[in-house]
Amino acid sequence: MNPSKSTLRKYSGLLVAFFRASAMADLEYRLNIVMKVFTDIIWYVAQLSVFEVLFKHTNSISGWTLESMRVFMSVLFLVDAFWMLIFQENLDRFSDKVRRGDLDMVLAKPVNAQFMMSVQKMSTPYLVNVVLTFAWMIYSLTELPGGFEAARLLTLLISVPCGLAIAYGLRFVFSATALIFARAENIVYVWYQLYRLAMRPDTVYPPWLRYLVLTLLPVGFIASVPTQLILGLQTLSFLALAILVAAIVLWLSTLYWRFAMRFYSSASS
Amino acid sequence: MIQPFITGLIEVALWSAIFTSTGLMSMNGFPRESYLAYALWAAFFSRIGSNWMYEFRMIDEIETGSVNSVLARPISFYEYYLGQFMGYKLITSVLSLIAPILIVAVISGPTKLERLPLAFSLVMYYLIFVHTMSFIVASFAFYFNRVSSFTMAKNIGLWMLSGELFPLDLAPEPFRGWLLAMPFCNAVYRPVGYLTGRLEIGSIVDGFVSSTLGLVVIAPIAVMIWKGGRRRYAGTGA
Amino acid sequence: MSSNVIETRGLTRVYQTYRKPEGVLGSLKGFFNREYESKVALHPTELSIEGGQIIGLVGANGAGKTTLLKLLCGLIEPTGGEARVLGFNPAERKSEYLRQVSILLGQKNQLWWDIPAADSFDLLARIYDLDRVDAKKRVRELAEMLQCTELLHTQLRRLSLGERMKMEIIGSLLHRPRVLFLDEPTIGLDIVAQTTIREFMDDYVKRERPTIILTSHYMDDISRLADRLLLISQGNIVYDGTVDGFMGTVEPMQKLTMSIATPPSGGVEIAPGVVLTPGQMQFEAEMPSRFIAPAIQKIMSLSSVQDLKIEEANFEDVIRKFLEKESRDRKARDRFPT
Repeated sequence: MNPSKSTLRKYSGLLVAFFRASAMADLEYRLNIVMKVFTDIIWYVAQLSVFEVLFKHTNSISGWTLESMRVFMSVLFLVDAFWMLIFQENLDRFSDKVRRGDLDMVLAKPVNAQFMMSVQKMSTPYLVNVVLTFAWMIYSLTELPGGFEAARLLTLLISVPCGLAIAYGLRFVFSATALIFARAENIVYVWYQLYRLAMRPDTVYPPWLRYLVLTLLPVGFIASVPTQLILGLQTLSFLALAILVAAIVLWLSTLYWRFAMRFYSSASS
Repeated sequence: MIQPFITGLIEVALWSAIFTSTGLMSMNGFPRESYLAYALWAAFFSRIGSNWMYEFRMIDEIETGSVNSVLARPISFYEYYLGQFMGYKLITSVLSLIAPILIVAVISGPTKLERLPLAFSLVMYYLIFVHTMSFIVASFAFYFNRVSSFTMAKNIGLWMLSGELFPLDLAPEPFRGWLLAMPFCNAVYRPVGYLTGRLEIGSIVDGFVSSTLGLVVIAPIAVMIWKGGRRRYAGTGA
Repeated sequence: MSSNVIETRGLTRVYQTYRKPEGVLGSLKGFFNREYESKVALHPTELSIEGGQIIGLVGANGAGKTTLLKLLCGLIEPTGGEARVLGFNPAERKSEYLRQVSILLGQKNQLWWDIPAADSFDLLARIYDLDRVDAKKRVRELAEMLQCTELLHTQLRRLSLGERMKMEIIGSLLHRPRVLFLDEPTIGLDIVAQTTIREFMDDYVKRERPTIILTSHYMDDISRLADRLLLISQGNIVYDGTVDGFMGTVEPMQKLTMSIATPPSGGVEIAPGVVLTPGQMQFEAEMPSRFIAPAIQKIMSLSSVQDLKIEEANFEDVIRKFLEKESRDRKARDRFPT
């Protein structure tokens, strides 16, 4: 059998198995599920209200109309929902797991440890958010005054995974820093600030900042680029760029993981 | 220490981006600089006006049952944690205000620093209301497990209504009226609006009144939930 | 290549720890110019372990037991020397290697807290690329041996500590490891659970002949299971040999108890310094092992002896005595270097 093919099969099988186990664990706390979804709906409303209010006082923000901004927010929410579903719990508890020695149990398994530390425990309640935000995205697309090309939705199949991969790779670096410094919890706040830059379309930023969010700190690919692709505001070449950037960020995250692991295996007792 | 700096700078960047890209010179009668100063101060006041740590501690005490040892002390659970919370906030807030004062000095944003003590007092008074809300959430721990998800929902709700996202007077009617009638805007909108010259002293007076009214409304609810919870707790003998 | 499953050559582990200076001023100084001090957790160690053996690793807390264990399974890297386990360098953590070993840390869970153990085993089967049907069968077998079949479908958090440990053991044996690292598998358990687990291990080892490195606070675990004993103290292996042989180095004591229905009228010296006084009906004495055989001969000549019992003296005491003697010897050597 082709080894890379069987590896792929093993890891996709594991993803499904982790999802199943996570769902079983999450269903033990039903009230928690309801509260999580409810909290996020408040968060969505809050984020939307900013632009609903701003557009009461202006018709366009750097070329974005209220309708297209709604599409942007819906894509942001969709990517965010996938993020919460797959990675959030794993990466938030990363330093805890290192401190409690759970990482040792992961390292002793014949699986890629970075993979297992990143996706082992998914937050399955957020599946509801994925459905809700997807519905909201379709609705806001149909509300566009000029209509939209349904075929362009296909770009999401590539741009959203790329956006997620970029968000993951950047966030993972912050988490993995816990292996180097014992008390690195606070560095995560830097990530939250960085993520806020992803929460507005890159075109509203001054040129230098815009350049930054599309290159060195590529958070612009999380929601802004995917939205511009479905709205036809960007050429398809940006799709290729997204793939390239995602590949680089993922690659760097594995390099950083190996670098950080050297500290772990030489410093822990 | 660095974190508030970054928060403040990002807020300012986002607002200046909005103004630059729209080409607007003013919004709702206030100039661009006023919004930048507002965004900066709002980031800091928003942190002062929220309660995470002490709420989690209260929940933890009730969930683990160590609440009984607190009740054995002469001051009650509510007062004990109110004291801790207010003391903590007083010290950390004074320290955290250094950052925006410095930034405002650098970007020379419109801020009336002489108004800071009064704006700050309004927030401190509002914290009693915040603590009472936390007390209610913590009391739910008598009834359910994993109440910390309530904290999340409540704090995000309070944050949305506080005015950190945008000055609340930008909201269209009737929302504007509702938002200002509720006490939640005493966390950010009223003190920051007053500090940056958006609002006048009358608004601060309104703030003290709405915080008081808010307390009058939620205090009986808090008592009810707490007492019911204690009964439940004693009943199971846990 | 030798046939040894585990082999180390000069395996060493040194930690760099940051020495925290005193006072604010010191802290400030430390911020710019850190002073590190080295602590040797494991001095150069030579080990050869044949397949199918059970090695008991014993020592005080902080003696270096866990360091050695973690080095051998690849969780930490040596600072000197090398280790070979099953022909692999453990620190590389190759999948082929990890698939053949297992580590069980007594105070940590590898199974999920909120789901039944059976579902965690299913995940493990995927992680180790096991055939799902085979894995299910193996879980059933192991659970029967450990008498916990009815608990397989209960969420782990609802189980007692002992029941959880049984599940953890099943999880760590699922993939038929050839080398098993067990760190305190019975810590904190009640006597019944300890005994069940010990009997299970005994049984399991006879069936599957894995190589096991076992650390334990409970000397019963070691004396019942181990073929060979490694005593580690301050990062050095201070004894390497059989459990019985170890007893020999510290003048093993045995305890003799008996009762006599019609005691002899005169005093009888059973062993040098041990005298049965006239009219004594209950007798109990500790004596060096070499006196036991002659003592029994004397006792046999008496009439109406009942319930004659000879027991091994407490293993833990023996180890303590050994370590005390060892440190006395070392101090003496240090003081009068030759």
